[in-house]
Amino acid sequence: MEYKVALGPQHPALHEAVSLRMTLDGEIIRDADLKLGYSHRGIEKLAEERSFIQNIYLTERICGICSHSHTTCFTQGVEQLMELVPARRGLYIRTLIAELERVHSHLLWLGVAGQEAGFESFFMYTWRDREVVLDILEWISGNRVHYAMNTFGGVRRDIDELQKKKILDNLGLLRQRTDYYLNLAASEPTFIGRLAGVGKLSKEQAIALCAVGPTLRASGVPMDVRKDDPYAVYDEIPFEVCTADSCDVLGRAVVRVKELIQSYNMIEFILQNLPEGPFKVKAPRKVKPNEVYSRYEAPRGENVHYIKSNGSDKPERLKVRAPTLANYPATIAMLKSGFIADIPLIFAAIDPCICCAERLVQLDNPRSGESQVLSFSQLRSMANAHYKKIDLTKKEAAWPF
Amino acid sequence: MSIKIAPFLPQLLRSLFKKPVTVKYPFEKEAVPQGFRGTVVFNPAKCIGCNICVNDCPAEAIDIIRVSETEKKFKMILHNDRCIHCAQCVDSCPTKTYHMDLEYEVAAFSRHALKIEYK
Amino acid sequence: MAILKPILYILVYPGLIFLMVYSTFCEWFDRKLYARMQNRIGPLHTGRSGILQPVADIIKLFAKEDIVPEKADKHMFSALPVFALAIVCTAALYLPVWHYTDAPSFISFPGDLIVVAYLLTLPTLIFFLAGWHSTNYFSAIGGVRVLTMLFGYEIPLLLALLSPAVLAGSWRLLEITRFYQEQPLLLLANLIGFFIAVIALQAKLERVPFDIPHAETEIVGGQFTEYSGKKLAFFRLLGDIEMVVGAGLISAVFLGGFPGGLLPGLAWFILKTLFIVFLLAAMRAATSRIRIDQMISFSWRWLAPLGVLQLFIVIIIKGNLS
Repeated sequence: MEYKVALGPQHPALHEAVSLRMTLDGEIIRDADLKLGYSHRGIEKLAEERSFIQNIYLTERICGICSHSHTTCFTQGVEQLMELVPARRGLYIRTLIAELERVHSHLLWLGVAGQEAGFESFFMYTWRDREVVLDILEWISGNRVHYAMNTFGGVRRDIDELQKKKILDNLGLLRQRTDYYLNLAASEPTFIGRLAGVGKLSKEQAIALCAVGPTLRASGVPMDVRKDDPYAVYDEIPFEVCTADSCDVLGRAVVRVKELIQSYNMIEFILQNLPEGPFKVKAPRKVKPNEVYSRYEAPRGENVHYIKSNGSDKPERLKVRAPTLANYPATIAMLKSGFIADIPLIFAAIDPCICCAERLVQLDNPRSGESQVLSFSQLRSMANAHYKKIDLTKKEAAWPF
Repeated sequence: MSIKIAPFLPQLLRSLFKKPVTVKYPFEKEAVPQGFRGTVVFNPAKCIGCNICVNDCPAEAIDIIRVSETEKKFKMILHNDRCIHCAQCVDSCPTKTYHMDLEYEVAAFSRHALKIEYK
Repeated sequence: MAILKPILYILVYPGLIFLMVYSTFCEWFDRKLYARMQNRIGPLHTGRSGILQPVADIIKLFAKEDIVPEKADKHMFSALPVFALAIVCTAALYLPVWHYTDAPSFISFPGDLIVVAYLLTLPTLIFFLAGWHSTNYFSAIGGVRVLTMLFGYEIPLLLALLSPAVLAGSWRLLEITRFYQEQPLLLLANLIGFFIAVIALQAKLERVPFDIPHAETEIVGGQFTEYSGKKLAFFRLLGDIEMVVGAGLISAVFLGGFPGGLLPGLAWFILKTLFIVFLLAAMRAATSRIRIDQMISFSWRWLAPLGVLQLFIVIIIKGNLS
């Protein structure tokens, strides 16, 4: 017998609010659907009201985990609009922070995967070691989560020799722990049993459904903005694009652990080859009318900002496409014909950042297919009409069993 | 990939006899590093009243008010409930009027209690 | 005087009061071990090193609002936790903790091993009914998972408990413990069975890796989703007491019981059950939750054949002994 279950908006497996509608047959998922729009924040509208400098800190708050991704994406877009060449040392430090952030995000993901699979010790251990990266970031930038390192023309703080040495010292510990987790995740039978063969997404499907980031690379597609369209100084740093061919959640975990090791190599390279010179150049306040499309490889996948300027010190339009939004269609495809037990793992495997992805509310007229903009008073009267229509007295809920 | 029986167990048993890493936070405080972005501190003697900080503050947490009609004297009201500790005011100020201290326990029961006035 | 002993037996030791106190201690011990294995501190503030934390949790639950779902059968929904708790406490009375070798306890009789195993199965059925009567999809899925798991672990557990009894030639817990106290070396013959029983007990207690019926990241609270307040407190207490009774049963059957009268017997009981709790905590920390289909195939592919092998070993040894 098929029945419908709503997971969310509030559910222990989801760290943010999103509604998953599942059609289940016993333990097997027959159909899945996703409803967005529960945690819309109106950040794009807010960005139009603020100056470019203020917007750096606003875009930083789009996401808590990839905060540097969004500011870098925005900053390098605005730098193109300003026709400004950032300081090289600044770009190196920007890349360093980006890779440190990738380390902390991937370690966080490993822990979340452990928690969703009910492997609490793994969660505790990975998050314990994630503290090391967070401490490094705190030394460099002055804060653990919102680093606020970017500014137009470079970065806001320099790195001295003492900090360099401290980072290199701690990197050894992180390398050792990552190797341990790689071995552990590949040899603990209960954990492999939960990850292997779950949430299959073939290469063709991944390309057709526009998956990004580790989800795409775990399906064997070597696509990475850092290699394909290098920004900052990624064309000068040697690294490999990590892929896996297993197309399942285990593959996504392996891709992330391999990327961790690549990130450690890149951090070492950056610290050893840090160029001398200024770390920022002076930037103008006003921006010529133009538009730009900026790409960035966030820990979760390709992050895109579209910025349009109109000659003032405020953007005319800022459009943010967070990587999670691009991965949603693939998630629905992966969820179909899985088990209930796989739902949290499959959903967590795209590393969802739900609030980052919810950008726009558009109400379509289902009959005519036209879009229309509703004012607040119209919305209010619609809501009142809706609640008048439904009977608020206690209903006889249908209980099928 | 080689499947073992309980590969995590040795590490777990070793941890059993080690000191836990948890910091008993409200009772024992960890030191924050130099350069930590804590609460904003304002030096009224240096302020020239250019209002760049007010315009640049992303959270609109700063008010600069002229104290006397004749002299160039200013006071600053920091709305610490709105402050996001980004230190943009420190960067923007042309006369280095601002710096950040290491204070991170800024919670209060009322948002009015978080208002700080520098004269 | 004759009536005093049964009353002491039921109310004090090993009955209600002892069980309540000792089971909360066991929960604290389990939580503390689990936390220390994960580099955490664990309960800390209530009592000395948090020893009263489980009690505080239960008191807190008793003070909370108690909600019965609109569509649920109210009497059934409320009666189930009390029944389950009563059944597990009854099972505790059969543990051979307070008897002198010449005067067996009033409740011990030939075949009480089967009765304890049966009484420990009943809470599982009650969990299923609790899930089914909650009129919630997550509870219903949890309830069905409880029953599905029962088919996995129950037979290996019975096979494992069977072998030491066959070797001792008795179904009476008292005689089994007496047999192994006289010949402690024979305990080694049941080593495989011991590990099967510990794993099956973990499944019976629904702890990681077998916490499938109330896997919080999948089906919220499973069969307990709709339970709150006092009723949930009863279920929590039930889980703790079930752990003590299960550990007591395994230590009586596989570890040679609790010899030496009242006080040494009590010491042995605490020592041996804490050892079992330690094994359970280590298993909980070292594994991740498995899927229901993996659990069933694991128990039928590994646990049940190993149980049969254990039985064969015991039969061969028994043939050689006589």
